[in-house]
Amino acid sequence: MKHTEQIYLTPMPVRIWHWLNALGIVTLCVTALQIRFPDYVNIFGTYKAAIRLHNTAGVVVSISYALWLIYYMFVTRTLVKLYVPTLSDIKSGIFRQAFFYFFTYFLGLPNPHHSTPDCKFNPMQKAAYLMIMLVLLPLVIVSGYFLMYIAPLREVFVLIGGIKTLVSAHYLIACCFCAFLFVHIYLATLGHTPFAHFVPMWNGWEEEEVEEGVHEQAPGADKVSAHSVGHHSA
Amino acid sequence: MKTGVCKVILCLAVLMPPAGAASAAGADNSGCITCHGNKEIIKKGGERLYVEAGKFSSTPHAMIGCTSCHDSVTAAHPTDGSRPSKARCKECHAPIQTEYAASLHGSKATCNDCHNPHEVKPAIAVSGEYLNSKCAKCHDKGKTIKSHSKWLTQADLHLESLPCISCHTGSKNYVITMSIQNKKPGDPHGDFKPAGYEDLSALRPINNDLSRLIDKNGDGFISLTELRDFNHQARSNGMRLWGMMTPQVLTHTYEINEKCWDCTFCHASGPKAMQTSYVAFPDGKGGVTRLAVEKGAILDILYGTPDFYMLGTTRSTALNIVGALIIAGGMMMPIGHGTLRFLTRKNRKEHQS
Repeated sequence: MKHTEQIYLTPMPVRIWHWLNALGIVTLCVTALQIRFPDYVNIFGTYKAAIRLHNTAGVVVSISYALWLIYYMFVTRTLVKLYVPTLSDIKSGIFRQAFFYFFTYFLGLPNPHHSTPDCKFNPMQKAAYLMIMLVLLPLVIVSGYFLMYIAPLREVFVLIGGIKTLVSAHYLIACCFCAFLFVHIYLATLGHTPFAHFVPMWNGWEEEEVEEGVHEQAPGADKVSAHSVGHHSA
Repeated sequence: MKTGVCKVILCLAVLMPPAGAASAAGADNSGCITCHGNKEIIKKGGERLYVEAGKFSSTPHAMIGCTSCHDSVTAAHPTDGSRPSKARCKECHAPIQTEYAASLHGSKATCNDCHNPHEVKPAIAVSGEYLNSKCAKCHDKGKTIKSHSKWLTQADLHLESLPCISCHTGSKNYVITMSIQNKKPGDPHGDFKPAGYEDLSALRPINNDLSRLIDKNGDGFISLTELRDFNHQARSNGMRLWGMMTPQVLTHTYEINEKCWDCTFCHASGPKAMQTSYVAFPDGKGGVTRLAVEKGAILDILYGTPDFYMLGTTRSTALNIVGALIIAGGMMMPIGHGTLRFLTRKNRKEHQS
């Protein structure tokens, strides 16, 4: 028999950051479309409006990123634990998760990873988020700020290889984020119900489906604190 | 001045042969230049009497000769006790004068405030920086940036990349004119400034022709390969190519051009508008000579100049395709996986039950 467990997976600061970031990234993608193709796209009335909204959204995303980094590095101190794949993740976890997503999922077998507050992300998520949050997002933020202050920062541009190199990098990373949005939203529907992974990002609680008598703990995860888990009969 | 002479001047101004030819075929001004080309004359009668021979010889005015404008000068000058007359600009340039007088600027400055008749050059022979230096004589750069910042994003960048007249006259037909900038010797960490004739001559170009610094084969045309080669070496030599959007057809209708409030006037002109570009080389006489560049210099990501980019207009098609492929790759996940997910939905229902 199956029962469900309610796990408090996403604290409020993280949820606020996530939705602020989501709004910012979507705004950046849409405004970027008009900025790059103004002769074909006019969503925001004027070009100036698109640029100002793009810049504002960029600043919002950069501030929210800074808060996210401070929160995980200095408040909860779980950045490494949550986002850096372990040796076992790299050796087998990533392949096991990929095997699930691209094969055993279609056979109806369960997800090998079960989220806990101390091990929220599966090995593939860890690798992807590590790349996105600690490499791509900082790069796109820094290149974006450079492009907002071209005249005073021209000397830096010379070191990088010219404004065209910087614009190209900013654009291609932004395309990666746009591609990530599709993958991210789609994968979020792969829970035991299509909205199972959306709910915790709204109210913090994730409903985990567990076989009676079995409480799988993800490898490397710490013991789940008593107050963060509740039980419901399925 | 006689009408016939005026017609000749107008024709010359339109046809405008190269500067070297102008001085060769022009009137004999040597008698005047002997005294007026010598700085000693400044001590006698002030700076206004001095004419820099090199710069004057390349002007259209040199072709018609000093006495065309100073027609009352006598053979006994300067001991005849009379002051030679000066022609007024409108005697020859009446249409321009009428156009200018009707503009917002007409009551603010005279022709001579911007144009020194002994140094004046056709628009094609002056750089964007030169044009802006004339405006900066009255309009303080700092104040201008501040006033434009109220509505213009990155006003400092725009004012460096455009001649003021691009937006403040009815000038049209925009092209990108690049020029070589360098860092001054002994100041490797200083700002890039337009490279002067002497700076570039010191690089020993072939036949002392500055254009050969880029146009290696000397065919009078800069190919993308030549441009790429120069750009590769430029960094190590403390140089770069800096582009300005300059109008080809100039007018004197000084105004606040309403269409320029809308950024799309420039930024939505599309990549096709940025196909024409030139490199301007200083000619040593205060002006520049321009060499045409192969189409695509501004747009090409690998061969073009790395320091010129104009949002929305200089986008690269190659990068557009790469970006679209990245996004399409992201979309393949929901499309491909989602399709298989739909087709295998029974498997999951069986396991759940």
